[in-house]
Amino acid sequence: MLTAFVRAFRTPDLRNKLLFTLFILVIFRLGSAVPLPGIDSAEIRQCMENATASGGGVYQLVNLFSGGSLLQLAIFALGIMPYITASIILNLLTVVIPRLETLRKEGQSGQARITQYTRYLTIGLAVLQSTTILAMAQSGQMFQNFCSPSLFMPNQDILTLITMVFTLVGGTAVIMWFGELITDRGIGNGMSLLIFTQIVAVFPSEMIRIWQEQDRWVFAVIVAAGIVMVAAVVFVEQAQRRIPVQYAKRMVGRRMFGGTSTYIPLKVNQAGVIPVIFASSLLYLPTLAVGLLGEDSTNPVVRFLMTYFDPTQIHPVYMATYFVLIVGFAFFYVAITFNPADVADNMKKYGGFIPGIRPGRPTAEYLDFVLSRITTAGALYLGVIALLPMVALGTAGASANFPFGGTSILIMVGVGLDMVKRIESQLQQRNYEGFLR
Amino acid sequence: MVTKTRDDDGAKPEKAGGAKTAEKKSRTSPLLFYRQVVTELRKVKWPTRRELLVYTLVVLIFVLVMVGFVTVIDIAFGELVTIVFG
Repeated sequence: MLTAFVRAFRTPDLRNKLLFTLFILVIFRLGSAVPLPGIDSAEIRQCMENATASGGGVYQLVNLFSGGSLLQLAIFALGIMPYITASIILNLLTVVIPRLETLRKEGQSGQARITQYTRYLTIGLAVLQSTTILAMAQSGQMFQNFCSPSLFMPNQDILTLITMVFTLVGGTAVIMWFGELITDRGIGNGMSLLIFTQIVAVFPSEMIRIWQEQDRWVFAVIVAAGIVMVAAVVFVEQAQRRIPVQYAKRMVGRRMFGGTSTYIPLKVNQAGVIPVIFASSLLYLPTLAVGLLGEDSTNPVVRFLMTYFDPTQIHPVYMATYFVLIVGFAFFYVAITFNPADVADNMKKYGGFIPGIRPGRPTAEYLDFVLSRITTAGALYLGVIALLPMVALGTAGASANFPFGGTSILIMVGVGLDMVKRIESQLQQRNYEGFLR
Repeated sequence: MVTKTRDDDGAKPEKAGGAKTAEKKSRTSPLLFYRQVVTELRKVKWPTRRELLVYTLVVLIFVLVMVGFVTVIDIAFGELVTIVFG
């Protein structure tokens, strides 16, 4: 089984892809360590240690989604988040705006235009987020009363601040480029791999925190529960509904074609981890809004956000919103990525049919029927896995950013499984066995 | 060629007929929908015990390797930043 990993490195072009991906990840982490211009890096590290040692929950959530670089005010402090938010917004808009929909249906060139719009939007969001974060840092809210902003930002004139905003926006653009490079020339989906790296980066420190704060047996139980959850996620991700397809025999020239029977694999969770990533990045927005508006309790909007959407004390409204968002995005994403009418059309073109169902429209309807039933189960599974640890541990004082929180487990296992299977299929293309012999 | 024209001919009346039935189709009741979900889930090919074990292990190894990798480079870059920026 492990020899498959070794064999992956022996195959030249697969090795190149893997090394390229790792190389990009190394640069990504380097940028997450280098501080912004005008920031005293020794002081800010001290501030961060003080703040996290006191166990402030917001910091950890914010940290989780930036791979630890936000609190350090690194040049990659914004992480991949603006890009994800921008692509959600564009995905949603394609349904609403007819012009975007025609672009999407245009194929390659239209898709390129949409990607271009996503990039512009990312830059816009990055400008917004970087000013928010710098405003938070400058007013001293980022570390609350743990340290004063004049310590780590000795120089607060307008030109320094502008330089910082430019650096942060530039960093975001570079990360976006990294994501696309990984998708193009590396292995796996760049966007999910980068968010995977961000989560993985804070994993050890979270584990150490639990090890220090809790009893040994609690730690053991948490690890065991984590492994069980990993197995559960793998179990559902691997489940497929196979729809049999029979191909008619036909003569082309003097040769026979077709007559084979295959199947269309429909995963129970056809949407993968994307709904979870989308939902959690949307729920991250209220925290950001509170940071922007300031934490005074007289502002009704702030009070509303603080009572219902504070990630440290998980309110039922917060959980319900999260659940609804995940389920909604799961259906939405499946509807975008899998078009039953297209699949049915393609099958008809090549003389394929589902036994017992007529080709063309009835086939499309049947596929739609099965897909909607299966996705219902898949979406509920995503929601439950994401919320289960919150419900089970929320009362015990652990929060959403807990390393075995459903969101991080789903992203880690989902992306991990996806990567492993991509490597496996690349191996099998070259006649090697995969992991399962 | 013959098959192609037949296919094309067949598609047109089907489409017209399909549109008519779609108008008549009534909504599925929640109970029926639930039952249909269960029947579809019965037809799902769930992974075998061996498959589950192997993939769980492989994913765990992959995640742990990545955690190790990222931690090592993070510590190295942390040291580097301390040296360079003080």
